[in-house]
Amino acid sequence: MMVSQTGLLFGAEAAEAVSFSLLPALVIVPLLTALVIGLLPSSRGEYARLTALVGSAATGALSVYLLLDFDASDGGFQYVVAQDWIADFGLSLQFGVDGISLFLVVMTGILFPVGILATTAEHHPKAYHLWVMVLMAGSMGVFMALDLLLFFMFFEIVLVPMYFLIGGWGHGNRVYAALKFFIFTMAGSALMLVGIFGVVFLTARQTGVVTFDIRALAEAQALTGFESRAVLLAFALAFAVKVPLFPLHTWLPDAHTEAPTIGSVILAGVMLKLGTYGFLRFGLYLFPEASYDLAPLFLTLGVIGILYAAIVATMQRDLKRLIAYSSIAHLGFIMVGLFALNSQGIQGAVFQMVAHGISTGALFILVGWIYERRHTRLIAELSGLQKSAPIFAGVFTLVMLSSVGLPGLNGFVGEFLILLGAFNDEARWWAIIGTSGVILAALYLLWAYQRVFHGVAEGENATMADLKVSEFLSILPLLALIIGMGVYPKPILDRIEPAVDDLIAHIEANVDGFDEPEPDVPAEHDPRELLIEAFHEAEASHAESAEGEGE
Amino acid sequence: MLAQVATPEVPWSLLWPFLLMALGAVALVTITSLVTELRTRQFPSLFTIAMAVGGGASLPYIWGRIGEIPERRILVLDGAMSIDYFTIVAAAIILSAVVFAAIFLDDYLRREGLDGPEWYVLIMLSASGGLMMAAAEDLIVTFLGLEILSIAVYVLAALHLRRAESQEAGFKYFVLGALSSAFFLYGIALVYGATGSTRLSEIDAALFATNARGLVPAEDSSMILAGMALLLVGFGFKVSAAPFHLWTPDVYQGAPTPVVGFMASAVKVGGFAGLLRVFLAGFGRLGDDWRPVVGAMALLSIVIGSFLAIRQDNVKRMLAYSSISHAGFILIGLFAAGSRNAEVAQLGTRSVLFYLFAYTVMVVGSFGVVTLVGGRGDGKHDLSDYAGLAQRSPILAGFFLVLLFAQAGIPFTSGFLAKFGVIQAAVRDEAYVLAGVAMVAAVVGAYLYLRIIKTMFFSDGAHTVPVAAALDTNVEATPDGAVIAPDEQISLPPAAVAAILVAVAITLLWGFAPNIGGDILRDAAATFLR
Amino acid sequence: MLLNQYLLLAAALFCIGVYGVLTRKNGVMVLMSIELILNAVNINMVAFGVHNAEAGAASVGGAVFALFIIAVAAAEVGVGLAIVLLIYRNRRSINVADASLMKG
Repeated sequence: MMVSQTGLLFGAEAAEAVSFSLLPALVIVPLLTALVIGLLPSSRGEYARLTALVGSAATGALSVYLLLDFDASDGGFQYVVAQDWIADFGLSLQFGVDGISLFLVVMTGILFPVGILATTAEHHPKAYHLWVMVLMAGSMGVFMALDLLLFFMFFEIVLVPMYFLIGGWGHGNRVYAALKFFIFTMAGSALMLVGIFGVVFLTARQTGVVTFDIRALAEAQALTGFESRAVLLAFALAFAVKVPLFPLHTWLPDAHTEAPTIGSVILAGVMLKLGTYGFLRFGLYLFPEASYDLAPLFLTLGVIGILYAAIVATMQRDLKRLIAYSSIAHLGFIMVGLFALNSQGIQGAVFQMVAHGISTGALFILVGWIYERRHTRLIAELSGLQKSAPIFAGVFTLVMLSSVGLPGLNGFVGEFLILLGAFNDEARWWAIIGTSGVILAALYLLWAYQRVFHGVAEGENATMADLKVSEFLSILPLLALIIGMGVYPKPILDRIEPAVDDLIAHIEANVDGFDEPEPDVPAEHDPRELLIEAFHEAEASHAESAEGEGE
Repeated sequence: MLAQVATPEVPWSLLWPFLLMALGAVALVTITSLVTELRTRQFPSLFTIAMAVGGGASLPYIWGRIGEIPERRILVLDGAMSIDYFTIVAAAIILSAVVFAAIFLDDYLRREGLDGPEWYVLIMLSASGGLMMAAAEDLIVTFLGLEILSIAVYVLAALHLRRAESQEAGFKYFVLGALSSAFFLYGIALVYGATGSTRLSEIDAALFATNARGLVPAEDSSMILAGMALLLVGFGFKVSAAPFHLWTPDVYQGAPTPVVGFMASAVKVGGFAGLLRVFLAGFGRLGDDWRPVVGAMALLSIVIGSFLAIRQDNVKRMLAYSSISHAGFILIGLFAAGSRNAEVAQLGTRSVLFYLFAYTVMVVGSFGVVTLVGGRGDGKHDLSDYAGLAQRSPILAGFFLVLLFAQAGIPFTSGFLAKFGVIQAAVRDEAYVLAGVAMVAAVVGAYLYLRIIKTMFFSDGAHTVPVAAALDTNVEATPDGAVIAPDEQISLPPAAVAAILVAVAITLLWGFAPNIGGDILRDAAATFLR
Repeated sequence: MLLNQYLLLAAALFCIGVYGVLTRKNGVMVLMSIELILNAVNINMVAFGVHNAEAGAASVGGAVFALFIIAVAAAEVGVGLAIVLLIYRNRRSINVADASLMKG
């Protein structure tokens, strides 16, 4: 069934037919895969993984095809599918991608097959892969939905598979972690529903049309002043839980630590992005004026997140928990980029969302492998792994450096653009404080690396198996992306830029007295060139260090 | 020469579903008394299902007959009953509840070693009362329907002769039910005194007349307000809305489980159908007076249903509280349906009908699962009895999972769109407080369902392993060596499982494609528009 | 007599009935209290019916309704007594306060 559908899409059918059905296919293919897995005979549980792999890879291939087929010069939504759903309620089935969501979709399409390939279910492979595929369908849907309620439904439905993945296949205190995760997020999304009703019906009162269409609502801009700020805050609370922003982050370390590897990969890679994507799409786009007014709040919370998470991460004894906290810090950067409210900052934020998904996903996979081999994630019990597993150490170094933000790797591009954008008249002080977070990130990650991989290898540490070929191949796509996106980010930024420029224009048009804050960098310097310059400077030293780590 | 007596014309074909239920009950009790060997077979169950399906099959025909008339309603029996689209939708819901109840009862009676067609007879009688309430255009008929509906269920609740809880539940239900019926009657008396009629259309006209003069005589107005309040008490009791919910947890816990499923679905639907008709067709003009009260009841029900459920440890009690909170959500829809704005009013009625249908399917499915888990003796309803259900019976746990998530209002289930519908109606009516509290309470309520799910899937019961998964049916023995004792095996009668599967399928289908039947609901919702 | 006097009598009976339902512990007494309420309604109904007829309405609805109520009340009490009997058989007591198997 899937194969024939894929064949149809890639066949010599008219291009229009492809564009019409491509986006729904990204949701339907994983869903059908889940169905197939559910219908597999119980005695054939081992085929579940294969089916999931095929299904997710087919979806990933579709998303890559989407990327190649995407019109880079267009900042608007493409491949839009609009279908009436419940006309009485003003609901429609609307999907579409622009340069911002495109890469999140592609990232989702890549992370899932890699995650499935790189991990195995410890038990009940059928149910495990079924939930993973449901999760994939939901994650795809949430980035493509152009109808507010449809977005909400996807936003909330991803909780269910994640709840079961953490609760069923996690470690330690998994049931508690799963429950905490579910309740936190559900409470947040209830408020978002309040916000959705608010924006839809306050708009309807002015325009007389009840619609949940994001674009129509953004065009109408019916809410002003207190109303728009209140509704934005309702949305923001839901997203802040997901991001997570400082006081609402407590579910994340638990969920991340107790989740099975694939759960952590998807949580960090995809689900946290729902929050920042939400801020972008529903904060800046739907409520430009309120977002502008409240930007200092979000910048402050973002910066607090950066510093707080960095400090807490330094003290972590569990490697996985440490990475979880590093995620909070990275997401804080993304918030700073978004609310720098200029082209560089937002582009950087979008880029960083993708980069963080890939590098943190890879980190969680690697930590998962360490746990498989050593049955511990405590930093204190690990030592000298570099000697027993040199290739492992090399791969880990690369991924970790990308997370640190070393020039030439993908983490750098996003952070650089974010800071470049944030150093402007409005956000300068936050940028300055935030920058220290970069240093702290280097500190805690390198320190952790040193404790785990250097030193004396004794006992089990001395005999830990190195990376298997199959494992290396499964993580290879992520390594390639880490380097590829770092070395040559232009094709990605080219596609993000038009969408971001449209967004900035939208904000400028709707906020009185708002002018895109120019970065402090003199205007004659094109930021792109600065980026390339910085990259060349760093290239030499980076190459040395990578070799030095002994790949 | 024979004298002519003027009798109202009886259009038998339009009353077909009602007649099948009422006469079917009489026929069943007669047949099984004459041919006694039929009592223990599946005959009573099949007979009941046949009657309900037969009644359902006539609904499209009646729908067509209504469509031929411009007013879209046929007044029958001298105007005492109104056959309109609303009646048909309510009848369809009640009849489907009958089918489900008959299927679950068959296995239940076999398992419990109880025999007797009386259960089915009472179910059919009760359903006929519900149908009467839905169609009643006269408060006398509403009252008769209410009593037929209730008295049969009092007996059903007490009918498990070996369970003392059953009789206790029956008695509690009876006393409080009779009390509420008495209040209801007193309300009818006051309304009759104030308006001079018990006919809804005449009540409406009387209210219009007094309003048109611009003068409402003080005694009349206070009398009709008191009457309305008492009617609301009676209805509130039947639909278990707070503050008239106190009987619900005890009765749900004690009554035989398939009966509870029927109570939570058909009885509630009958009550709501009557409530909607009386308050929209009869007291529609006094909306400003009764809507605040209905809104307050809605809030109270939702809050009580969501918060008090948290400390329960009996699954039937939990579902009782959840049914209280569902009643609150439906009352929100009624609140909007009473709006002067025709568009909002129609949306409100529509959302109530959608909610009732979705809720009926969810709740009969849920109690179907509870019936099966309850085991012989109908006693395993403690939360701990659900520990590791995913291991013992993955299919049942999977079904229950979907139904509970639907009740919690998780997207892509009918439960989500049902809640969305009533809340949207409230927001359109600018009742923001109502909508806001409902949404917050929905989150709290979700914890209740999550607790059951957690117990089923992740709990370390003595007989289970920690981790369970819904769809792996190949789990037989538990790795920690605990052997499931034979009496712990949950028997899965095919008919009951198929019925639950249908409920699950409808719940999911409506979550994805709620437009199915949307036109029907829209037409039905237009019934009370002036 | 004035209509009010009938209504007051009915209201008094109603209140006595409600009081009885709430305070009586004996199951049969509870049933009797319920009967009292229903009869209060009957008085109301008949009084209103006569009042309406005097006001020129052709309806005899009140009296007819009272007949219905008498029939329904009989059915209700029949069921009620049957349930009380069942409880008595199981428990040798018709004290409502003893019926407390379920709490929560």
